Formats: sequence, structure tokens, C-alpha cells
Amino acid sequence: MWKLGLPLAVVAIAGVVAGTSLAARSAASPIKVAIMTDCKGAFGGAFEVDTGGALAAFAQYAGGKPNDPKKPSAGITGAAVAGHPIKIVGYGCGNDTVPLAISETKRLMEQLGADIMIGPLSGDEAVTVAHYAVSHPKKTFVIGTAGSQDPTLQIHPKNLFRYHGDGAQWNAGIGEIAYKRLHWRKAAIIMDDYSFGWTSAAGMIADFCGIGGQIVKRVFPPLNTTDYSSFIQQLPPPSKVDGYFWVVGGTGTGASLKAFTQAYGKLKASQFIGNLFFAFLGNFSEVAPQLVGSYVGGFGTAPGLQTPAAKHYEGIVAKWYPGLNGGNYADGFVYNYFNAAWALIRGLKAVGGDLSQGQKLLQSHMPRTNASGYQVSSGGLVHLDSRNQAIQDQYPLQIVKTGGKLGVSLVGFVPNVDQTFGGLFKTTSPPPSEKQPPCVKHKFPWTGKIRVIKNGHITNQVIK
Amino acid sequence: MRKVAGMPAKVAFERSVAGVVLVMLAIWPVVFNGQSYWVSTILTQTFVLGIAAASLTFLSAYGGMVSLAQVAVYGTCGLVFGNLVATGEAKGLHLGWDRWTSVVAAIAITTGITVVIGAVSSRSSGIYFLMITLTFAVIGNAFFTSVVDFGGFSGVAGLDSYTPSPVGNPNTQPARLYYIGLVLSVLIYALIRYLVRTPFGIALQGVRDEPVRMRSLGYNVPLIRTLAFALAGLFASLAGILYAWTNGAVAPGTMNLEQTVNLLIIAVIGGLARIEGAWLGAFVFIYLNTELFRGNTVPVLGGTFPTFIGFIFLAIVVVSPNGLLGIWDAIARYLFGGPRGGSREPLADLLHEVAGRMRLKGGASTRPREQE
Repeated sequence: MWKLGLPLAVVAIAGVVAGTSLAARSAASPIKVAIMTDCKGAFGGAFEVDTGGALAAFAQYAGGKPNDPKKPSAGITGAAVAGHPIKIVGYGCGNDTVPLAISETKRLMEQLGADIMIGPLSGDEAVTVAHYAVSHPKKTFVIGTAGSQDPTLQIHPKNLFRYHGDGAQWNAGIGEIAYKRLHWRKAAIIMDDYSFGWTSAAGMIADFCGIGGQIVKRVFPPLNTTDYSSFIQQLPPPSKVDGYFWVVGGTGTGASLKAFTQAYGKLKASQFIGNLFFAFLGNFSEVAPQLVGSYVGGFGTAPGLQTPAAKHYEGIVAKWYPGLNGGNYADGFVYNYFNAAWALIRGLKAVGGDLSQGQKLLQSHMPRTNASGYQVSSGGLVHLDSRNQAIQDQYPLQIVKTGGKLGVSLVGFVPNVDQTFGGLFKTTSPPPSEKQPPCVKHKFPWTGKIRVIKNGHITNQVIK
Repeated sequence: MRKVAGMPAKVAFERSVAGVVLVMLAIWPVVFNGQSYWVSTILTQTFVLGIAAASLTFLSAYGGMVSLAQVAVYGTCGLVFGNLVATGEAKGLHLGWDRWTSVVAAIAITTGITVVIGAVSSRSSGIYFLMITLTFAVIGNAFFTSVVDFGGFSGVAGLDSYTPSPVGNPNTQPARLYYIGLVLSVLIYALIRYLVRTPFGIALQGVRDEPVRMRSLGYNVPLIRTLAFALAGLFASLAGILYAWTNGAVAPGTMNLEQTVNLLIIAVIGGLARIEGAWLGAFVFIYLNTELFRGNTVPVLGGTFPTFIGFIFLAIVVVSPNGLLGIWDAIARYLFGGPRGGSREPLADLLHEVAGRMRLKGGASTRPREQE
């Protein structure tokens, strides 16, 4: 009897073990996602805005429901992909500095055990996260909104993706506008002395020099400078140059412009072009009225663009988080985090939420294109290049005054801007810095193809 | 005072606890998961910040010098190391030196800088010493932020790829760095305990208590202070190297005012009167920051971590200026008897008073508290 009983018992135990193991495998394990942004420092105010952008995508495309439509960081419930619940394990709280970016990344990925990170927010933080991604190939990172070039061009870990442009891409086309519309030939540039300042300035320098302009002076105030008078003195006076490219952010925008007025009197709008920081008019409200008419580099977004895709995107965010960012859904913080989360969801759906094999399957199935709301070229699809970096339309802006109120308006459409600027920036070239890039003539894919935007509509007329 | 095995009961108890803690720390990565967050971050960071805080506590406890420059010292060492060793995509000088050479050179350069800082600061004391060292901390931060050739605001990243082979990859082999931090912590603790009993240590304590008398006895007070400062700089430099390996990046933000204050808080929470307080304070600070402050606000109490730790700091300063170890000292006197604390220990005084009234161990002695 025992001779029969033993094999039966073995089979029964094997069956139970196999059944348990099968059940465990088929049980939908949660997908743990962390959202990394800033809640302190210069961009601390973007914390809820970034979070809202990302969670709106989880609500729209993964079936989640915001716990509090007025406070995105209250989280969502019910989001899932292929039966795998999406669990937002934590919200990173950076302050724009490297040390906190490291500790917050470790907290989210190691202590809270996130599988995937959406973030971070700023340039140096993204460099830090890219280095972290290199040494953690079994995790996946989708940059939230960060403008440094290094993470994808020089460092380019295979498990890191960026579905928006870098700071240089955001300024594509602005040099050509300066050259053609304002007839600038010689210009000076003042830039915040750190990764984002350099990358943002690199776009302006490359674009302006590419078409034949000359940068005669580069000035670098350290970040968080309060007294800009000595840096203004380093700039050539207004009579010696045709204009100034202004790449000073945060409270520095107003302080530096004010220092300029103290040295040279009232600002002449046609002599100033700012990067995206000129679009944050509240940061320099005292001198902003003098800059009505100044051109502004973009943020990869198109506020006021009248296309169905743009309206659709804005409608989604308004549906889940009405009034987010004061109703300005075209802000790059909202838009870029939204697209990052959306692309991630699409990648997860493509693999049925399977994070096995060290997430290799997910990383190889992350979408190579995304139908981002403000993309018009290539059938409305943003494409990733071989280094997982977006090739994206850009939209130069202009400071305008309508109904007595200051704002920014779309002026141009620069199609399909790639990170290399048509081969000018290379994987082997040094990242943007005080001396990089040099001022050289170069033909870009978009040179002579920047189209005029009128009342939010892209026309066939090119900027001359 | 009760005695156990020929030594005061309190000392015997403390040594037993220290032994148990050391054994637990030694077997932790083996018994528990060697890859865990506790090993890779909480405890390794405790060793790193503990060593940095020990340099501050050493100066304070035995030299009477509360230095705010220690964070700048370890940040400088990390940045010098990063600039010397890194190459390729990293920002900085891209010198690409040999890894061990870079470690030795960074420690030597930074210790040399602390000799200069110490020489300048050594002729002042009290609040003036505090201000001078704070000035050096601010200069260090501003210098590395402004000089872009050394990495600028972004600092130098990717340093976890430049560890010497015994250290391994801190991301995949965190236990190695953990053990290096543990061994260095024990060695530095032992070295300080040894040093304070040498003629140099005795002279340093003499300078702390009676600088004028020491000068009149023929001691070169500024030289003794400078040497102590350089020694503390050496400890902080070691912490800087460990920091660079653990975090993989060093930037001026590593040595900004917030971090400077954080190290002071760590030393004060642990206790500025005893060296071991540095590691205790570091552990409490990191544990609260990572385990309690898992979100962006402190659960139940609300508020952010800086607010929370600020209240703890205030409470420590008011209730027990000698930190958590001061509280332990008070409890130990209650439990084991012994000399009472002075007016600097309100909690100790209170407990002692209670003990006296209840006619328990310990009398109402007014002897000065025991010095190391």
C-alpha cells in the first residue's frame, strides 16, 4: 500500500507546488512607479503641476481616478495596465541640486522599491539620474522635464527615455528669427552658469551662429546671483551689439534685467531675446512691460495652438485636474510629465505589464513615437532617436500685450528639431559649457523652413 | 557608584552594548539582505556622516572648537577626488588619474587646506572661531559653484564608476563600502580615544580649558589647535572620499549652508561631549529622514522634515545640551549612581534631584562632572 501511496503523495505535493507557483505567476503583481520632481528650490512651485501632468495620463490611459482633483499629490486609485495595478510608491522632492537628487532617487528606487521612475525635473538632476540609470539597468527611467543635453546625448543609458526636447532644442529657430526679423549680426549672451543655462544657451548660439551671426561676448553669472551689476558691466554696451540673448532664470531674470536698466537705461525690446524664462513674466514683472515685442525661446509647447490634437490634450488635463497650473495646460511642466507618463503606459501595455528579465522587454517596447498634443510634423508623432531622445516640433514665442495684460504668443513653427542640430552636436563632443559650442556656421534641417503662426494657426508662410 | 568586573557599572554596561552593536553591524549584511536599502544607504551613510560629525565632535569635545567648516572639508575632498579621477563624460578637469593616487592626493590636498584654515582660525575662539569657520564653509561653496572648470554648480558625477577594486561597485556590491565605512569608523573612534590620552591630547584638553595658563606654561597654543584642526580635516577628508563613492556625485550643493547646519545638528543630537555621539546622531538623523519622512510631510505631525528636525534640535539644546548621550548619562546616573552633572544638564539635574529625594542611588554631590 505504501508503495502506491508514496508516488501519489509525491505527485500530489508536486501538483500543489506547481499550482501555487502558477497562481503566484498569474496573480497580477503591482507595477511600482515613482514620480520624481522638485518641491523645494527654484522649481518647488512645480511640484503639484508636474505630478498633475503625470497623473492625468494615468487617469486617462490607465483607468485611474484622482483622489483629489485640486491636489494631484493626493494620488490616484484604480489605475492598472493589463490587470497589473499601478502603484505610485512615492513622490520625489528635489530642490534642483545634485545631492538631494541622489538621495531622493535612492529613496524612491531602493527604499520604496519603485520599478520605474518618471522624472526628474531639472537639468543637473537629470544628469544625476542618468548616471544612476547606467548602474541600475534593471530599472526604467522616463525623464519628466529636464533640459540638460548630457543624459541622452553623452551618457545615454539604454534604460532612460526622454519624450521631450532638451534645452537647446527648445531654442531652435530663435537665432534665425533674430537674424532675419531683427537683423542682428553681432550679439552677446548672458547665461546661468550651470547645465541648463549652458544647454539653453547652446541652442541659441548654435542657431544664431549657424545662419551667420556672431556671438561677441559670453557672460556667466553663477546661479542664484543677486547683484548682477558686475556681470552687466562685462556685457558690451547696447551701442556695440545688435542685441542680447538672455538666459537667466528664477529670481535672476528680474534682477539681471533691472541691473541692465540701471547701467544703460530703459530696455529696448528689439534688443532682447530670452530663453523660456522670458515666458515666466511674473518673475520680472517690474521690467516686463519694457519687453513687449521681445522674442522668447520655447519650452517644446505651443500655448494657444489651434489644432485638434492640442485641444484634445488640454481637454484631458482639464478633465482630470481642472484649473491645474492656473488653467495653463500648455506649460512644459504639465505637458512633458504628461507625455512621459503616457509613453510609459503605452510601453507597459505593449508588454502586458511584464517587468521580467530585468525590464528588458519593457525597455525594448517603449514607444518609438508618441502622439504628443503639440506635435504637428510627421503626422503628429514625436519620434525618439537612437539614443531615446525626442525629435520634436518647437515654437518660438513673443511677449505681447493684449487687453492691457502681458502674455506670450506663438510666432513660429520649427519642424522636427533633433538633439544633434543636424549633426552639430555629437555624442563625442563635450556637453554644453561656458565654451561649448563654438560659434560656427551650420545649416540645420529647419533653416529657412520656420513657418509663421498667426492667431494660433500655422501658416504656409516662412519667416523671412 | 556600583562596579562590575572592576570597572564602573555604567562603563561595563556601555561596553557590553557597544560590543553587541558592533557584532550586529558586523553580521548585518550577511544575516540580512546585503543589497538592502539599510546596508546601501541608511547604515553606510551613517558611517560617512558619522565620521564627518566625529571630526566636529573631536574639535568641540577636546579642543573647545566648534567648527562649521567640516562639511566644506569633506565636500572639497570629494570634489578634488572627482576632478582628479574622472574622465570622459563627467564634468570637471577630466584628469583621469589612477584611483588610489587620486584618493591619496585628494586627502593630502584637503588636509593641507585644513592646515591653512586651522592656522588662520586657531588664534580665535568661541563665537569668533565659529564665524571664521563658517566663512570658510561659505567660501568653499561659492568657490566650487563659481569655478566651472572644477564642475561648477553641477559638480562631478559618475564617481561610483571610479572606485578602486577592493571597494567594488557600490551599486551592485554595497556591502563592501558598508564594511569599509564600519572599519574606518571604528578605527577613527579608537584613534581619537587613543590620541586624547597622549601628551598631545592632554595638551589639547589643557588648551580647551585654560588656554592662557597653557600659553604661560610654554605651550604653543595656536600650533596645538592647528594640528587638531588638521587631524579633524583628515577625518572629514576620509568621509569625503566615502561620500563620493557612495553617492556617485559631489557638487557644491554637498557643502552648502543647509548641509553645514545638518552636520551640526547631527553632532548636537548625538552629543558634542562624546565621540560616539557623532555616529548616534548620524543614525538618528538619517533614520528619521528616510524612514519617518517617507513622503514629503511628516506623518501625523505634518510639516516637512527640516521643521521636524528643527524641533528636535531645539528640544535637545534646551533639555540636554549633551545630546542623546547626555540623556543617557542622566539615566545612567539614575540607574548606576555616580557624580551628578552641572547646570549644563537640566535633564540630568532633574533626574538626579528626583533620585535624591527618593533616596535612591547617588547623592547630592556638587562635584564637577567627570571629564574624559
